[in-house]
Amino acid sequence: MKQRTKKLIALLAVAAMSVSILAGCGGAAAPAATTAEPAAEAEAAPAEEAAPAEEAAPAEEAAPAEEAAPAEASGDVTDLPRNETLYFGGLQWGTVNSWNPIGANQNCWALASQTFGSRSCMFETLYMYDFLTGNLYPFLADGDYVWNDDMTELTVKIKDAAKWSDGKPVTANDVVRTFDISVEIANGTGTTYGAYIDSIEAVDDKTVVFHLATNEDGVPKNPLLALDYLVAVYVAQADWIDAVVERNGGDSVAILNDKAEDVPYSGAYGPYYDDDQKVVLVRNDNYWGQDASMFGSLAVPKYLAHAIYADNAASETAFKAGQIDVNQQFVANIQNLWLEDGLPISTFYDDEPYGVCLTMPTAWYNMNIPVLKENPALRKAIAMAVDYPSIIASAMTNQSPSFEDVPRSLMNPTEGEQALYDHDAVADLQWVGNDIEGAKALLDEAGIVDSDGDGYREWNGEKISLNACCPNGWSDWQAAMEIVAAAGEKIGVEITTLYPEWSIYQTVFTNPDQTEYQIFMYSPASAAPSSPWARANAFMNKDFVGVQNNWSGNFGQYVNEEADAILKAIPTMQDEQEIKDAYTELTKIYLTEVPSFSLMYRPAAFDAVNESVWTNFPSAADGRGITPNNCISGYAIKALYELELVE
Amino acid sequence: MNNTIKQLSRSPKFMTGFCMFVAIILFTLIYPLVNPGNPLEMIGVGTFARPGTYVSLYDAVSAQRETFKLADADDKRLAASISDEDRVAMIELFGMAGMELDIEAGDTEALLEAWEANFDTLIQTKMTSAKRKYYTRINNKLLDLKAADTLVVYEQGEEDSKSKIVKTDYVRTGAVANVKTLPLGTDNFGRDVLKELVSAAKTSLMIGLIAGTVATLVGLTLGLLSGYLGGNVDEIIMFITTMFTVIPSFVLLILISYSLGQEQRGPSVVAIVIGLTSWTWTCRSVRSQVISLRNRDHVNLSKLSGHSLGRIIVTDILPYIASYVVMAFILQVSSGILAEAQLSLLGLGPKTTTTPTLGLMMNWAMLYSAHTNGSWWAYFPVILTIACISFSLNLMNTGMDQVFNPALRDG
Repeated sequence: MKQRTKKLIALLAVAAMSVSILAGCGGAAAPAATTAEPAAEAEAAPAEEAAPAEEAAPAEEAAPAEEAAPAEASGDVTDLPRNETLYFGGLQWGTVNSWNPIGANQNCWALASQTFGSRSCMFETLYMYDFLTGNLYPFLADGDYVWNDDMTELTVKIKDAAKWSDGKPVTANDVVRTFDISVEIANGTGTTYGAYIDSIEAVDDKTVVFHLATNEDGVPKNPLLALDYLVAVYVAQADWIDAVVERNGGDSVAILNDKAEDVPYSGAYGPYYDDDQKVVLVRNDNYWGQDASMFGSLAVPKYLAHAIYADNAASETAFKAGQIDVNQQFVANIQNLWLEDGLPISTFYDDEPYGVCLTMPTAWYNMNIPVLKENPALRKAIAMAVDYPSIIASAMTNQSPSFEDVPRSLMNPTEGEQALYDHDAVADLQWVGNDIEGAKALLDEAGIVDSDGDGYREWNGEKISLNACCPNGWSDWQAAMEIVAAAGEKIGVEITTLYPEWSIYQTVFTNPDQTEYQIFMYSPASAAPSSPWARANAFMNKDFVGVQNNWSGNFGQYVNEEADAILKAIPTMQDEQEIKDAYTELTKIYLTEVPSFSLMYRPAAFDAVNESVWTNFPSAADGRGITPNNCISGYAIKALYELELVE
Repeated sequence: MNNTIKQLSRSPKFMTGFCMFVAIILFTLIYPLVNPGNPLEMIGVGTFARPGTYVSLYDAVSAQRETFKLADADDKRLAASISDEDRVAMIELFGMAGMELDIEAGDTEALLEAWEANFDTLIQTKMTSAKRKYYTRINNKLLDLKAADTLVVYEQGEEDSKSKIVKTDYVRTGAVANVKTLPLGTDNFGRDVLKELVSAAKTSLMIGLIAGTVATLVGLTLGLLSGYLGGNVDEIIMFITTMFTVIPSFVLLILISYSLGQEQRGPSVVAIVIGLTSWTWTCRSVRSQVISLRNRDHVNLSKLSGHSLGRIIVTDILPYIASYVVMAFILQVSSGILAEAQLSLLGLGPKTTTTPTLGLMMNWAMLYSAHTNGSWWAYFPVILTIACISFSLNLMNTGMDQVFNPALRDG
C-alpha cells in the first residue's frame, strides 16, 4: 500500500512537473512570439516594441527593487476615475519619445499623423478626413476650401474661435510657419509635400493661400497632395516653433528630436501623465471647440488613457476584460467574442468583414532579382496560384472581403474607388487565385519548365528558388506568406518563407539595392483625399526607384514608362471619363505586368469597442456617419462628444 | 548483458516507460499508413474547425432519406438556436422595456409569442449597441426557425429540379458520399491537427534522437579523454566544459539559432545545434567516473600488457560506464525534444512550410491565440504529446537507475 501510494505520488509529481515546465516555457516565450502587429502603421513599429519586452525579463530578475519602485510610484492604471476615462488599446507600445508635432518618428498615440486621418485629440489639422465618404470637414478651417480656376492656389480660412492651450489665437501665420519649418528641417511633412507646395502665404490673420508648385506649362504638379496636406498635417504654434529653433540653435536634427514637453496645442486634450506603463491625456476645459462654430460642447470623457502592454496577447486580454474601451488591434475570429463569449464587444459592422477595409497588404516582387525582373509570366503565375480564400479565411479570419466580391485592381473595396475603373475592360486580366493549371500553363508557355526532373522549374538552366518574407510576429502576414510558399510548391517553383525581426526587415526592404528579400510584404497608402492615385503611384512610380530609405512605394524597383506617364498626368485631370480611362489603363498594365500583388484587404485601423463602461460608439447601423477610426483619428473624434456612460 | 535485460524487463517503471515510448513510435509509423497524404495540406478554409465528424451537406441533400418522427426533435432544434441564457436575457429585456410579462417560467412558446408580438417595441429600448445586436441576432434566429418548415434546394438555373427537405427527414451517415472525421479538428491554417501532430511527433523524435546522439557522443568522447588522459588535456577540456556550463545553454542555443538564420535551419541542423549545446553534464560525469576507474587493477594490467589507448578505453572503461551513458542518452533525447519545442515557440525553430514539428505547432497556435479563444485542440494535444514522450523517457531512465544502482531499488 505504502509503495503504491509512493508510486502514485511520484507519477503525479512527474506529470505536474512536465506540465509546469511546459507552461513555464510557454510563459517565458510569450513576448517574443507575440503578434504585435496591429495596423499597417509604419511608425508604430510594434514588432520592434515587442523585442525589448523579451530582454526586460532577465533584467527584472536582476534588479527587482529598482523595477518595482517606479511601478509603485506611478500607481495602478485604474487610478483614474473609470467613469471619466476612455481607455484605448493597440496604439502605443512603448514609452512616449516626444510630443513634438514637427518632429520625426514620434511614437505617441495622441499625435500619429496619417493621411487616412491624423489623430485629432491634441493637435489639429485644418480639415478632418472621413474615409467612409471621402469628405473633408472643417476643423481649424472655417468653411470649405476654395480653388482658383487653374488649381494653382488653394484658399483656406481659419476659424475665429480657434485658439491655443496658452490662450493665443490660432492664426494664418501659424500655418505658414509650420510649413516653412517643415521644409527647412525636412521632417515628414517637408519631404512629402515640399516638392508639390511652393509656399503658403498668410493673406491676413485668418486666411492662408497655398501656392502649388507647377511644371513648365504652369499646370500644378499635384493638386491632390495639397488636399492630403489639409487633413494630415498638424498646425503648430509659430511662437513655439521660434522658441524651439532658438533653444536648439537652429540645428535641424535637434529640432526633429526635441521632446517638446512645453508645446502648446489647439486640441481638446493635453498631456496629463506618462511613463512606461501608461500615457494619459486630460481634457482642456477651456478648449475653443466648445464654441458653436465647432462642436458646441466639451468632449464627454475627462481623460483619454492608453496603457502600454507587453504584447498583443496582453492587450487582447485587457480588452476582453473591459480594461480597454476602444481597441485598434487585430483579434482573430473577433465575432466569437460576442457570439461565443457573450462579451459586450462590437465592431462597426456586425457581419464580415466587421471593419472598413482600406489597406491592401501587398507582396512585392524584387526586380533586382533577374528571374523576377525578366519574367512577367513567373510573376503572374505565382500570383494566380496563391490560395486567396485561405489567406482571407485563415490569416484574416474573414475580416476582409474576398477577391470574388471585390475583383483585384489598384482600388480598395470602397464604392468610390471601385467606380473609378472599367470593370469589364480588365475582367480577363483579373484572377481570383487557386488557378494551379492556369499558372502552370503560363509558365510552360514562357519556357520556364522543369527539365531535370527534380520537381522544380528552371530558368536559364538554374533552379528557381525564391524566398517570401515579412516581419516576424506579424501573424496574419506570416500566415499569408506560408500560403504563398505553398502555392509555389504546387506550380514547381521553390519558395521558402523567411521572417526577420521588424528592426532588420525595415532596413532591408527600404533599401533599393537589396537582393535578400525576393517576395516581401508591405502595404501601400490606404485611403486619403489623394487615393487611389496615391496607391497606384506607390505601386508603379519609377521616381521611387533607387531612392535610399524609401518608405513611399515601389519597394520592388519596378520601371514602366507608360504607367509612369499616366501616373504623372492623373492629378491634373478634371474630366471624369478621362480619369476613369486613365485608371483603367493603369489597372491593365498592373494586372498584366504584376510588379506586385495584393494578398487581402485590411482595415486601415482595426476598431472594436467594449461597452462595459461607455456606449454610443459609432456603428454602421446608427446612421450618424461617424468614421470608425478609434474615436480619435480624423472625423472620428466626433464620437467623443456623443459618448454615454452605460447605466 | 542478458541478465541486465532480464532485470530491466522486471522493472515495472522501465517497462511502462518503454511501452509508452514504443506505442508512440508505432503510432507515428502506422497512422500515416491509415491516413496518408501531406500533413501540411490545408484542407479547411478558415481557422480552428472543431473536432468532430463532418458530413457533406451537398451530398446529404441527394442521399437516400428516411422519415423519423422524434418527439424531442423540435425542442432540440430550438435549444440549439436559443439557449437557456438567451431565454433569460429575453425575459430581462421585457423588464428593461417596462413591459409586464405574464407567463410562467419555462413556457417557451408563450415567451416566443410575446417576443414576436413586441419585438419592434422592445428593440427600441435604450441599451448598448452590443446588446441591441445580440437581441437582433436572437430575433433573426427565431424568424429563421419559424419561416422554414420546409427547406427547398434548387439546382442552379433550373427552377423545376428542386429538392424539398422537411424537418422529419434523416440521412444515414454511411449513405453520404463524403464524411470526414477530424478527431482533433483543424489548426489556424485549416490543417488536420491529428495528421500534423503525428508527423510532428515523428520529426520531434528524430530531432530528439539526433540531438541526444550528438550530445552523448561529444560528452562521452571528451569525458573519456579528459578523465583517462588527465594532465593538460584534462585541463583544457575541463576549461571548455566549464565555459559551456556557465553560459546557460538555452541562451547559447537561441544565439546560435538566431545567427544561423532561417534559411539554414532544417530539422537536422536544429537537432545538431541542440546537441552541441547540451553535452557538458555528460562530459563531467563521464570524466569523474573514468577518473575513479583509471587506477583500478584491471586497467593497470591492460596498461602493463601494452594495450593501446583506444583498446583500454573501449574494453576496460566503457563497459563500466555504459549503463550511465545509456541513461544520460535517454535524458538527452528527452531534453532535446523539449529544447526544440521551446526554440520553435520563440520562432527560432526549424524553418516552416516543409516539416511540422511540435514546437512549430505550438508557435502557430499561440500566434493565433488558440489559448485565449478556446481552441484547445490546436495546442493541448501537442503539450500532451511532448509530456508523454518525455514522461516515458524519464520513466525508462528511473527504471534503469533502479536496476543499475541497487541503493535506489524499491523496498
